[in-house]
Amino acid sequence: MKNVHIHTHQPLSRRTVLRGAGVALSLPWLDAMMPAFGASTPQRKKRFIGISLSLGLHNPYLIPEGTGKNYKPSPYLKSIQDLREDFTIVSGSSHPGVSGGHTAEGSIFSACPNSRGATTRNTISIDQLFAKHLGHETRFPSLVLNTGNERSPSYTENGAMIPAMTDPKKLFAKLFIDDSPEAKKGQAELVRGGQSVLDIVGAEAKALQREVGAGDRDKLDAWFTSVRELEQRLEADEEWIKRPKPKVKAQVEPGDRNNAADLKRAMLDVVYLALQTDSTRFVTLHCTDNTVKALEGVDESYHGLSHHGRDEEKLEQLAIVEKAMIDTWGNFLRKLKESKQAEGNLLDDTMVLLTSNLGNASSHDNKNMPVLFAGGGFEHGKHLAFDQKNNYPLPNLYLSAIHQAGLDFERFATSSSEMTGLSSRA
Amino acid sequence: MEHPSPSRIVTAAIALATAPLGVVSADDKDLLAKLDPFLSQHCYECHDDLTAEADLDLLSLDFDLGNPANFAHWDHVFRRVRSGEMPPKEKAQPSSRERKEFLELIREPLFAIDRADLEQYGRVHGRRLTRTEYEYTVHDLLGIDIPLANQLPADESGHEFETKADIQQLSHFHLDKYLVAADAALDEAFGRMQKGDAEFKRFFGPTELTARSGGNYRGPEARDGKVRMWRMTLQFAGRMPKTSVPESGWYRVTIKNARAINPGPDGVVWGSLRSGACYSNEPILYYIGSVEAGKKLRDHQFEAWIRKDHMLEFKANEATDKAPPSGASGGNISFKGRNLEKDGFAGIEFDGIEIERVYPHGPRWEVRSKLLPGVKFENGKPVIKDRKAELNRLVTAFAHRAFRRPATKEQVEPYLALASQTLEKSDSLQRALRVGYRAILCSPRFLTFIESPGQLDDYALANRLSYLFWSSMPDAELRTLAKEGKLSDPKILKGQVDRMLDDPKSERFVANFTNQWLNLKEIDFTTPDPRRFREFDPIVQDSMLLETRAFFAETVRKNLGVKNFVASDFAMLNTRLLKHYRLEEIDLQAGGGLQRVSLPKDTVRSGLITQGSVLKVTSDGSVTSPILRGIWVNERILGKHTPPPPPNVPAVEPDIRGATSIRDQLAKHSSDKTCASCHAKIDPAGFALENFDPVGQWRTAYGTSKNSAKVDPSGVTPEGDSFEGIRDWKRLHREQPKPLADAFARQILTYGTGGAMRLSDESHLEAIVESTAKEGYGVRSLIHAAVASPIFQRK
Repeated sequence: MKNVHIHTHQPLSRRTVLRGAGVALSLPWLDAMMPAFGASTPQRKKRFIGISLSLGLHNPYLIPEGTGKNYKPSPYLKSIQDLREDFTIVSGSSHPGVSGGHTAEGSIFSACPNSRGATTRNTISIDQLFAKHLGHETRFPSLVLNTGNERSPSYTENGAMIPAMTDPKKLFAKLFIDDSPEAKKGQAELVRGGQSVLDIVGAEAKALQREVGAGDRDKLDAWFTSVRELEQRLEADEEWIKRPKPKVKAQVEPGDRNNAADLKRAMLDVVYLALQTDSTRFVTLHCTDNTVKALEGVDESYHGLSHHGRDEEKLEQLAIVEKAMIDTWGNFLRKLKESKQAEGNLLDDTMVLLTSNLGNASSHDNKNMPVLFAGGGFEHGKHLAFDQKNNYPLPNLYLSAIHQAGLDFERFATSSSEMTGLSSRA
Repeated sequence: MEHPSPSRIVTAAIALATAPLGVVSADDKDLLAKLDPFLSQHCYECHDDLTAEADLDLLSLDFDLGNPANFAHWDHVFRRVRSGEMPPKEKAQPSSRERKEFLELIREPLFAIDRADLEQYGRVHGRRLTRTEYEYTVHDLLGIDIPLANQLPADESGHEFETKADIQQLSHFHLDKYLVAADAALDEAFGRMQKGDAEFKRFFGPTELTARSGGNYRGPEARDGKVRMWRMTLQFAGRMPKTSVPESGWYRVTIKNARAINPGPDGVVWGSLRSGACYSNEPILYYIGSVEAGKKLRDHQFEAWIRKDHMLEFKANEATDKAPPSGASGGNISFKGRNLEKDGFAGIEFDGIEIERVYPHGPRWEVRSKLLPGVKFENGKPVIKDRKAELNRLVTAFAHRAFRRPATKEQVEPYLALASQTLEKSDSLQRALRVGYRAILCSPRFLTFIESPGQLDDYALANRLSYLFWSSMPDAELRTLAKEGKLSDPKILKGQVDRMLDDPKSERFVANFTNQWLNLKEIDFTTPDPRRFREFDPIVQDSMLLETRAFFAETVRKNLGVKNFVASDFAMLNTRLLKHYRLEEIDLQAGGGLQRVSLPKDTVRSGLITQGSVLKVTSDGSVTSPILRGIWVNERILGKHTPPPPPNVPAVEPDIRGATSIRDQLAKHSSDKTCASCHAKIDPAGFALENFDPVGQWRTAYGTSKNSAKVDPSGVTPEGDSFEGIRDWKRLHREQPKPLADAFARQILTYGTGGAMRLSDESHLEAIVESTAKEGYGVRSLIHAAVASPIFQRK
């Protein structure tokens, strides 16, 4: 790891000095980068939205014929051809060393090798890496969402899963509905109360080191780190409590519980509002809901269909479901594209990824992950076709995204370089 | 465990990474020279600088065990040569003397450095309470009973024990949630102390239970002053809106005078009782319990946490019974003009349902005595003279209990200071107490196990025992024994283990240990496709879980031998499982719940591994995989660990059309030599279990059509014994109980200490196993021996 030099006397440009694994920097960086309540940053804000499907996408219907700019749209891509220049489809890539079928969900955004899902540790997911270094500029450093349950592919740098919010209405309330003055006062008191508890917890972790021996040092260090990180968050929270939440006219249209794609739509509607109001810039949405019977022509569960076992009738139904999942993604992109900003539109500054831990849900294979990547100021409109037998490392895409957001890491997880064939728009 | 899992190597490596140890006495170069003839003859061919198979280059490897990576390599070499896996079978084999000499040369230095590391740093580092343990502990501390575990992040332990310190996580997120959970607990406790307990007790008869409340009617039938419910398949059939509870809490639900209508030959009709919002936008139903209605009238009582505004849903629910038509259109149920009893349908009739709010942990005064111990009350008001002194006394007392050991004055000081500040600022003793208690509940002294290197003191020992058997803090008796320094006395310790195992709280041990050891926590992870597995229903799933817990509890209670895990002459069954397992020839008392029964000779259903719960958690809900089941049996029962597959191996794609068997597909896969060597060890147990489908029912083919591939449950064990099917396989392993005992001792010790077994623990493990040999490796004896061993009694 190279040394890190941080000049605290003048404001940092974001694309400065974050070289190395980037694990141990937090305090000085955060302080120097703390313009959250001052002048806005001169650079354009970059956002990252990671959407993951727990049941994959059927590759034969997804991967187009032909490569590069001249690919022929596959059945799944037909309905989003109006967005052709706004996204890239990647085939033949996956996370090196990640296997274990469904259990690989934990590595979707962390790319942490997991040896058959038996790993006991995860590493930081890309959204949380963004949240850690850039998240303090908004009220919510990140949003972690799931349409079905509280599990998420978002992990802290200690490798702990962040539980997901599952209800778009509650999400809306969290983003846009001001708490009552008493509640605010209570929150501020809680924050201060929390800070005094944390002071004690930190001191106790230090005292314990003397009592329980040097072998526990790493564990107690995790207590220190956690105390420090929570304190930083509480400080920022205290500021945000004072400020009113943004007002929006829109209302939440709850998703249809019998339609996994509509649940995804409902969440993305609120995510769109969150981006528009700059309430957050980093989001993961994990789509795990299993009920799709409201879709016409479908009478089995999503999970049941994903285990199609090459049965034609099941594949036909699966295609209906998966098309709906892609269409929802397309509609979200369209809304971002229509949302004009001072410069360009919201999509220009928002990277939107759609992927899954499963390249083949029927066999629980984690190779050949489906990858659709849109927006964020990249040169799109291509099919990046890598070797389906010997996969290209998908973490390279994440490294490209990290660089695009102005963070200058040398690698992310098992990345080897930026992604070949993916470049920034001139 | 002859074959280390990667995580074990890493564990050892991390433990050693803390400091280099200069205890290797052998001259390293000298030793390498002694090892060289063996290495040249048997190892370098594949493991040199050019080939370096499995990334192992022995030619360039030093002998420098102080270096963790180096230690891990030699540990690996030692185990693989010892188990006979290396050199591979097809290569020239060393004589047993050569092998022995080689192993002895490495063993001593490996053990020495491992022992020294254990001595200095201990095996377990910074274990914290799991969220289940947290909940039980806070309940015992405060006398409350609200769910708290779900306020905390899940313990992501993968396929390992949640208690294992090295995989337990801690982040700012956890700390934040500890604050939240502490507030929830203290809100409840202080709230009950001040406001008293909520009261709610109502009886709902036929009129209330069949009342409509908007939407489609999906309720039961009222007939002749009684309530009847049938097996209607509509979602939420059997919902009863009037039973919605006014606030979240524990409720005692009594179904009054229930009897079976049109029971089958077993004389019973089973029903499922659940709670939920019972509407499609909030479809989750929480299982309360199974009702086994017989011919005689009987009350059925359950205690359950029911969420605010959730109602009860109750119906006859055996998938093997015919479902009556709904009797109405548009998603409604109607009983008009029908007599389902005459039509021969199975159902349950009852008088009504009583719902009463209860506080299972204890009444309000208990909460008060835990929050304000030693405080006198007059006319319901506390009598306190010197508030400052009382605050100090109470916070100190709470800290002693919460930290589960006496705390020094300096250790309590920060909590006292915070509480005193609050007293000065707010002028409220209660607020000050709350603030102090809150900080204590977030302290690492409360949330982690305080264990110093070497022999544990009696308080730490009391903790390990209490969390092992009760998943909670030590009770007064354990605390007293620890205080008097008597707990480490072997006789007293043995008596305490018996006392704890005989206490009803040991149900927590049975549930938590089997949840993790056997992975039963995933019993509801998959929902089998009802069209393919027509006989599976929620009652079967519930019964399976209870069966396995009862079976394990029986082996503990009666000190039955570990061979029973593989094969037994008894089972714990109820009438629903009899039907599911096709064991109807066994006599069971109708309506008697789970009962111990003697099994017919040579039945396939004996032991743990062929219980439905196990067969279900080892399949994915639609197909079975001999690989997954093989790994499950190897790792959890036989104590054999398999390394993960090498990268870039394609997964085997199952074929549910039934045209090809998973075996044929595997045969292709394993025809590759590199795959075959591991699969010869992994697959056999899985093959033997192939006669059991994903819901645990017997099958002889993979589909129902004529062309369906036939099941072939035969195979050859890694030891070279061939078997025809599961009966043979069980016989082979039942006759070899010693490895089962070793595997179980490792499991119980890993769960109970929070640390994986280490290389140099082997001598202790051998002693544990040996000491129980005479009585056939009894499960309870193994637990006693494990607790008495240095592995359990040292950090």
